[in-house]
Amino acid sequence: MAQTLAHSVTEVHGETAHHHELSFFRKYIWSEDHKTIALQYLFASLFFLMVGGLLALGVRYQLAFPGTPVPVIGKLLPRWLVTDAGAIQPGGYNALFTMHATVMVFLVVMPLLVGVFGNFLIPLKIGAGDMAFPFFNALSFWLFLLSGFILLASFFTPTGFPAAGWTSYAPLSSHASYNGTQAGQSLWCVGLFVNGLASIAGAMNYITTVINMRAPGMKMFRLPLAVWALLVTAFLLLLAVPVLSAAAAMLFFDLNFGTSFFSASNYGQPLLWQHLFWFFGHPEVYILILPAMGLTSEILPVFSRKPIFGYKAMVFAMVAIGVLGFIVWGHHMFVSGMNLMLSAVFSFSTMVIAVPSAIKTFNWLGTVWRGSIRFTTPMCFALGFVSMFVIGGLSGIFMASTPVDLFIHHTYFVVAHIHYVLFGGSLFAIFGAIYFWFPKMFGRMTNEFWGKVHFFLTLTFFNLTFFPMHNLGLNGMMRRIADPTQYDHLRSQQPINVLITLSAFGLGLSTIVFFINFFYSIFKGPKAPRNPWNSTTLEWTVPSPPGHGNFDVTPTVYHGPYEYSVPGMEQDFLPQNQPVPEAARLMPH
Amino acid sequence: MQATAALTVDHLPPQPPPNVIRFGMLTFLASEAMLFGGLIGGYIVLRSGAGPGWQMPEALKNPTTMAQTFVATIMLLSSSFTLHFSEVRILRGQRGGRLLLLLTLVLGGCFLANQAHEWFSLYHEGFWFNTAGIMGSSFFVLTGFHGMHVFIGALLLLAALVRTALGLITPERHAFLDCSSLYWHFVDIVWIFLFTILYIL
Ligand code: HEM
Ligand SMILES: [Cu+2]
Repeated sequence: MAQTLAHSVTEVHGETAHHHELSFFRKYIWSEDHKTIALQYLFASLFFLMVGGLLALGVRYQLAFPGTPVPVIGKLLPRWLVTDAGAIQPGGYNALFTMHATVMVFLVVMPLLVGVFGNFLIPLKIGAGDMAFPFFNALSFWLFLLSGFILLASFFTPTGFPAAGWTSYAPLSSHASYNGTQAGQSLWCVGLFVNGLASIAGAMNYITTVINMRAPGMKMFRLPLAVWALLVTAFLLLLAVPVLSAAAAMLFFDLNFGTSFFSASNYGQPLLWQHLFWFFGHPEVYILILPAMGLTSEILPVFSRKPIFGYKAMVFAMVAIGVLGFIVWGHHMFVSGMNLMLSAVFSFSTMVIAVPSAIKTFNWLGTVWRGSIRFTTPMCFALGFVSMFVIGGLSGIFMASTPVDLFIHHTYFVVAHIHYVLFGGSLFAIFGAIYFWFPKMFGRMTNEFWGKVHFFLTLTFFNLTFFPMHNLGLNGMMRRIADPTQYDHLRSQQPINVLITLSAFGLGLSTIVFFINFFYSIFKGPKAPRNPWNSTTLEWTVPSPPGHGNFDVTPTVYHGPYEYSVPGMEQDFLPQNQPVPEAARLMPH
Repeated sequence: MQATAALTVDHLPPQPPPNVIRFGMLTFLASEAMLFGGLIGGYIVLRSGAGPGWQMPEALKNPTTMAQTFVATIMLLSSSFTLHFSEVRILRGQRGGRLLLLLTLVLGGCFLANQAHEWFSLYHEGFWFNTAGIMGSSFFVLTGFHGMHVFIGALLLLAALVRTALGLITPERHAFLDCSSLYWHFVDIVWIFLFTILYIL
């Protein structure tokens, strides 16, 4: 039923495609083609990646060399950020880390995973001509871009960026007299509200598309894992993001209109903010990792020339993560004075949620185990993802235990955890995915050599930057302090801070290698064939880049997505749109 | 597309099948439900935290206000029924559908008018979002968010009415009406919750 519908939708689309030439505006600005929207998301979020990266370097500069003027640009920076001499002020430092995290979470990792790969891959991988609602898809991108500008606009206000942390705990965030950044904090609320609208528009599109518009034969258990991951993610977005919107609205009213939701007087409750924020916040961190897991699950089988290990287990693990993700938020609040019994429950549910993550990790290992591995750049990043994610997941387990977390909460240990899962995890997977799908997106190949250089530099500097943060945290360095040298117990740690900062600059440099390779290859890279990696999923059966409407004829799907090295076949891979030959012996599912 | 040609169904861009559009609308409403879930959840936490300190003003509890709001509630709920029957008629191509749609709008309008009136009189009693502590904050933000939704729903229904009159909504092509009506029913259901927690409990 759904499949025949999908059929007619794609056909209608294909028809319109041939009828009229699109104007420049409709082709590049208000484009409703999911592939163009994906590229718009890609360029926008890479721009925000540079912004977020620069903010991080500001943070690191301050921690290593507190009180010294910022070289070269120091004097040019606004006064809410630096002193007259050009050194970062404590308030400016707060502004830097607040915006760094906000930008990275809402304007970089989320749009890169969901906006770019969700848009690009879902229709292509399920054999549809486009998303169900192309208009809302375009709207989603422009709302996202708008939200980015709203957030960054606070730079130009007299009091500057918001400075209460990306978690914006009340009452610091809800009283202008405490945070001193009424305009910035208000823009933060508005920006996240608009960003949420963009996410919801995208999520409803993805869910509708995956459920209703699959090509004939594309059963749910024949969907590539990336599509499953994005589907679960879309549900998380749909159900978690509006809670942040509600909280942001309340915070906005508190700040500007004198309501008292989060003030301790008048029966308001500052703690309510934490509950609302983390009810959104924990599903959010899975929004930031599930698609990355999905993308990695596409790359590993291709370059191991083996089927994914335990396809269904992978699917169920993701669904389990999605569901459990809604009942663990309290692990961010162990020190908030919550009921100890409740704390134990959250501790337990958090340990339970680590189980499906572990299942996925074992399955990735099972996939590469005894495969004929090809160490291409995407494969290196995918393997990097698995390794770094394991480290981040393990530090998560430490913190999931309440008695341990009482000591390491709000220390650099948490910062190390965040970055192992979000940079070592999500961003590694994103880099891998960009290298992997670049040929399909732009019709050209990236440079392998410089890709590897990028990988090894990133891996090295990443670990040099973030691993020592575990030590700093255990040695008692708090998060969000502008000047560690003020504390006796931290003065001996300062060399580690310097090491971290120097490595962070190295990490910045290695990203330049990526950008050069990326932009050079768009114009000068060798032309890419349809299927450069000998892969099986549907996006590789159409030209690189695919035309408007994707498929000339709606494909029919005959089997699951990971048929590599099928016994009895000459070719070592069997694309999803090819019937199973007599001689082939597929893995039983 | 062609601006000069008369606007008829044939000139509209192609759409996914109606049930796919409905499905999309339902996912959106799930998201809306979580928005209100967040607000209402926050309200419950705040209210239970305040304990006996939670005192709604007399102006809200006096019999006239209660009676008026009750009537407005009935009107809003019955508008769901008029809308339903209007939809049935329009989809069957029967007469009277547009009239019922208009009636739905009038009922919704009355609801909004009552709410505006109530806000106005509360303001004069000195009960406002920034003067009455957490009680005022939650009352006005909850009813305000909901009123906004009723207003948007009314605009959608108005657009649906205009489209029906122009012949752009037909028994074959009615996704716009479908979605506006789903939205309207949703807003009604939310009100049942709000009415219960704000006025009755
Ligand atoms: C094995 C699974 C994981 C476990 C058991 C876990 C556990 C935890 C715990 C207990 C905390 C709170 C620490 C504290 O504030 O004292 C935390 C913080 C955090 N986790 Fe995880 N985590 C896991 C995976 C992830 C993943 C996959 C992501 C994102 C991609 C993530 C992102 C974060 C972030 C951003 C924070 C810090 C939030 C903040 O305070 O700013 N975690 N994690
Ligand atoms: Cu969490």
